[in-house]
This record gives sequence, C-alpha cells and structure tokens, in this order.
Amino acid sequence: MDERHIGGLWCHQVLELLDVFVEQDLSPTMLAAVRQHVADCDACARFGAAYALLVQEMQKPVEPELDAERLARLRQRVREDV
Amino acid sequence: MTPPPTEDHLLQRAAAGDRQAFDDFVVATAPAVWRLLRRLTASEAVAEDVMQETFLGAWRAAPTWRAEGAARTWLLGLARRQAARSWRRRAGEPRHHESLGKLALAAGWGDDPESLAARSQDRSRLLRAVATLPAPDQEVIVRCDLEGLSPSELAAELELEAGTVRVRRHRARLRLLGALRAEVGDG
Repeated sequence: MDERHIGGLWCHQVLELLDVFVEQDLSPTMLAAVRQHVADCDACARFGAAYALLVQEMQKPVEPELDAERLARLRQRVREDV
Repeated sequence: MTPPPTEDHLLQRAAAGDRQAFDDFVVATAPAVWRLLRRLTASEAVAEDVMQETFLGAWRAAPTWRAEGAARTWLLGLARRQAARSWRRRAGEPRHHESLGKLALAAGWGDDPESLAARSQDRSRLLRAVATLPAPDQEVIVRCDLEGLSPSELAAELELEAGTVRVRRHRARLRLLGALRAEVGDG
C-alpha cells in the first residue's frame, strides 16, 4: 500500500475504519477525519466506493414473496417425491 | 377448540412417515425458506429449485431432527447448505494470518476497483465469489450481509463478542472483494 497521511489519518487507519464508515457508525470527529482523508486520497476514495457498493449490493432487499403458484408447484413436487 | 399443531409437532409426525403432516409443514414454513433463498441465490428460478431440494431433503432427514432445536431453525440450516451447494464451488484455503493491508491489496486497494464494483452488482458472480471463501468468512457474509443479521445478533448465536464479529465481517468482505478481483483477472 502506498501510505498517505491525510486528515490526521494514515491510509491503513482508514482501511480499518471502512466497515464502520460504511455502516455509518463512526463518531462525528472520526467521520470528519475519514471524510477529509478520502476527499484528498484517490486510492482510498475509490476503494471505499467499491467496498460500499459491495455491501449495498449484498444488503439490498430481494422480492417478491412466495406466491400461490410457486407454493402449489412445491407441494406437487413434494407429493410426487415423498 | 384444539389449537393447530406447531411446526415442531408437524415435523415430528412427518419424521414418523405422516405425509399430510409434512405437507402442512411445507405450507407453514415455505414462505420463510423462500425469503431466505431469494437472498442466497441469484434468481427466482434457482431459488425455486433449491427450495424444492430443501424440502425433499427435509423429508429424508426428518427422522434425524432432534427436537431440542426449533424445526424452523433446522429447516433454514438445510436451506442454507442447499443454497451453498448451488453456488459454483471453487474451494478457498483458509488464510488466517494475512494483515488487513495484505487483504486490501488483494482486494484491489490502490488499484482500479471500478470493474470490481461492476462485478459485485452481478449477483450470480457475487455468490460464486462467496463460494470461494473459507467457511468462517462465508458464515459471516451470509448471516450478516445477505440475511441481514446485525453483528450483535450473530455474536449472540456464536457466543462471541459483537466486536469480534465486526472484525471478521470486515476481513471477510475484503477477501470477497479479492475473490471478485480474481474473477476480473480470470476475465
């Protein structure tokens, strides 16, 4: 890693805080420091964005609920096979 | 008026060969299995296949169910394992000693992560990458990020500190980005 010291934080410190940053669980002081760092550190900004997108994708809601047709197909299959 | 039999009672009767009880068990629990599998599979079609395999497996395994745990918990465990089988398996060796920095480098830190970001939005690629992770990483990714448990909830299940789960989750996410990056490298 090409370490930089920006906003009072080294890149590796930002990396350690990335999950808490993405979960929006940082104290206001730390939040300001991380924001300042990523504003001036392209590598951390880009990597942080990829990390955040991954988390967002994994946590995004999926639809739809189980419908009557699918349940009927399941019951039919189970009746045939058990 | 007699209350309806609980899911546990239905599974007990199914274990003794009662097909009607098993059908009632399917009706009672299928919506929860479906919700879980929609999170753990890439498409509705795959989720439906895996759901059917889960219930057929549940019928076969019902006699092995021990009533000290809830039938629904047992069933969701079967569904999780069945979903994991549906991912393309490329076994990953556990890598317990990497520093966070090494994990970040492997995950593309300081590199060009835009293509990684695009890959992470393709759910089937994402799940294939999850399948390459060591089992403890898969567990924390599946339970926290895909199923939506908080670190505190998973920590309570595993009898760990919430902070430990948070650290594991962070490292697992970095390994997952690394696995997606390997896919980018593979083309």
